[in-house]
Amino acid sequence: MNEIGEFALMIALATSLYGCVTYVMAARGNRVDLYLSAEKIPFILSACVIVASAALLRGLLMDDFSLQYVWAYSNRDLDTFYKISSFWGGQKGSLLFWTLLLTCYTLVVHIQNRKRNAMVVPYAMVVLMAITTFFLVLLNFSTNPFEVIPVPPEDGRGLNPLLQNYWMVIHPPTLYLGYVGFTVPFAFAMAALICKNLDDSWIRLTRKWTLVSWFFLCMGNLFGAQWAYLELGWGGYWAWDPVENAAFMPLLVATAYLHSVMIQEKKDMMKVWNMSLVLLTFVMTIFGTFITRSGLIQSVHTFDEATLGYYFLAFLGVIIAICVGLILSRLPLLKSKNELDSFLSRESSFLFNNLLLLGICFATFWGTIFPIISEAVRGVKITVGPPFYNQVNVPIGLALLALIGIGPIIAWRKATWSNLKKNFLKPLLAGLLAAGALFPFLPLGNRSEIYSYITFVLCVFVMTTILIEFFKGTVARKSLHDEKLIEALGSLVWRSKSRYGGYIVHIGVVLIFAGIAGSQSYGAHTEKRMKIGESVVVKDFTFTYERLGFIEENATKTRAIAQVGVYKDGKRVWTGQPEKEFYKGQNQPVSEVDVLSTWQQDLYLILADFTEDESATIKVYVNPMVSWIWMGGWVIAFGTLVSVWPDRLEQRRRLERMKIQSAVFSPAQE
Amino acid sequence: MNLVHLVELLLLVTILIVIGLPLFGKLPRNILFAPVDPANEEFKHLLVRKEEVLLAIKDLEFDWKTDKVSANDYSEMKGKLEGEAMKLLERLDQLEKEGKKRKKN
Repeated sequence: MNEIGEFALMIALATSLYGCVTYVMAARGNRVDLYLSAEKIPFILSACVIVASAALLRGLLMDDFSLQYVWAYSNRDLDTFYKISSFWGGQKGSLLFWTLLLTCYTLVVHIQNRKRNAMVVPYAMVVLMAITTFFLVLLNFSTNPFEVIPVPPEDGRGLNPLLQNYWMVIHPPTLYLGYVGFTVPFAFAMAALICKNLDDSWIRLTRKWTLVSWFFLCMGNLFGAQWAYLELGWGGYWAWDPVENAAFMPLLVATAYLHSVMIQEKKDMMKVWNMSLVLLTFVMTIFGTFITRSGLIQSVHTFDEATLGYYFLAFLGVIIAICVGLILSRLPLLKSKNELDSFLSRESSFLFNNLLLLGICFATFWGTIFPIISEAVRGVKITVGPPFYNQVNVPIGLALLALIGIGPIIAWRKATWSNLKKNFLKPLLAGLLAAGALFPFLPLGNRSEIYSYITFVLCVFVMTTILIEFFKGTVARKSLHDEKLIEALGSLVWRSKSRYGGYIVHIGVVLIFAGIAGSQSYGAHTEKRMKIGESVVVKDFTFTYERLGFIEENATKTRAIAQVGVYKDGKRVWTGQPEKEFYKGQNQPVSEVDVLSTWQQDLYLILADFTEDESATIKVYVNPMVSWIWMGGWVIAFGTLVSVWPDRLEQRRRLERMKIQSAVFSPAQE
Repeated sequence: MNLVHLVELLLLVTILIVIGLPLFGKLPRNILFAPVDPANEEFKHLLVRKEEVLLAIKDLEFDWKTDKVSANDYSEMKGKLEGEAMKLLERLDQLEKEGKKRKKN
């Protein structure tokens, strides 16, 4: 099976190269025979990569330690769940997984566009296959997952214990679905540039791909934060680690693109900007991969064998050169004839939103690459820590939060001051009320607390604007269509899914902001060495260390479990069981935290260490509002679902357009 | 030759047949896509623009209903959008006439 897997990868490389050449020849020579031959490639390609993936998965599940990859990332005692996740736990497997997603996406793109967009699709397929070819070259010649050990060992080294967490099983595939998903809008943007088809049809074609990929990227970041929170055992969820930044930056650019693209759809302007943003999003995803696999930056997230940096750097260079070259050569075609109607309009608020998002992205990028630059220029690696990011990004983030509230109040095209004042009044009053109400209760002793206070006030302001938007829309619809209130609300959201889905996403973002503000400024923590029966008080809670137990789970894993009773006002509210896990062959034990999560706060316990007399060092964190962040993620998921739900009206409009076009010009071309 | 090599050979031959057949078989003579007709392209683009302008008018009415624009701005913007829609419709009509004439010939 391993031989077949390796062979399938070789065939995949050959077919993807054939696909690139044939699609180009079909498009340039306008030849249907070549196109018919090329259109078999997505099927063959995905089948080959599926076979290779199945072969590697079989090796992992069957403990085939003759494969170097299986030996390095699995062992006999590993749970089946984690054996599956070992597939993307190492460098080689993760590249195969990336390629698997890419080929499956390519197949879906092909099936979706089989009988339409004949001019653009061949070029988009060329771009997709060229990217696939790059990954297949790596898999065949540099990081072959089917590398064989001549004398197979009895057992494997096992998966890094830090990766043996369910969030780590979900987080990488989610992030990859987002990363790889952005290849599709990128491919169509490049195709539009190549064949000079620069109206907004490529945007319409890839709208759902963009939204879904954005959603996966967003959830991937949140799942990663949850993993860091539960597995790294330092009480936090985000540390501005270079690899966290690498996943965060494409999300920022993609968010900017999602907003600015609406201006192109509505006003047929900002073509260069949108094109640049979609290309930059893809470049950022490759930059993120470069960071993870270059070995240039130290992080808990980087791969052990970080040797692929130069391949990705070269790939990045080629992509940037082609993108810039294409945009510059098509500049006259990308110029728009329309202008902003007014400075005071939804469009300009989107422009500000873009500037702020790119500002955060640039600051994050600068902080991420600064250690590399400082080492190259001065020979000293200067690491940029959270204070830099917080100092720069928090104020910009607050301005962004304010804009989320301001945007919906402003009309498209041109807003009026008097109406704006009227519409601002209620949200502003709500914000001021919140400011007054919170002032006596929230400490304002340092910059972080002041920022958190402002965040809460802004959250109230934004939530009020969004709720008013829903209310006003419902009332307007009710009066126009003589519907009941709930019916009017339902049909309001149903008829304008993208608008109201977007507002729901904004509610999720507000929850995330509130959660971050609460957890960053008002938490408390302590660390104490305790004997059995001793207690420590943090905020309103008393934590009593009760006992220490040991469980030998299997031949490779032993667990030390501390029991901590938690009391509030003399009443027992929870029994926490933080653990220390010891893995055979691993030098460092791994902490397994225990968390009681409620909407108010998380009680977070870490067993830092223990001695033979059963005394233990327990770290206790009381982190307020952390669950709001995760809740925000699910609200974003719901909002995205509303936004991407198929719009029959739009489909009908498309068919109507084609019908009219066919009547006038035949055949109709999309 | 062992079984694995046989499977690999079969796989290779199947793939070659699948991608090679269209190149040697009898194929319909039609080309992949019709040559780009600038008038058709413009027509297609204007149809989309027409929809966008009509949607913009709808949005403007909604903004007016939800008190985001003043009466003056509403009528000014509506007039502007209606003017834009009229121009688009006129151009679409013109292209339609030309297209139908060409189609007849």
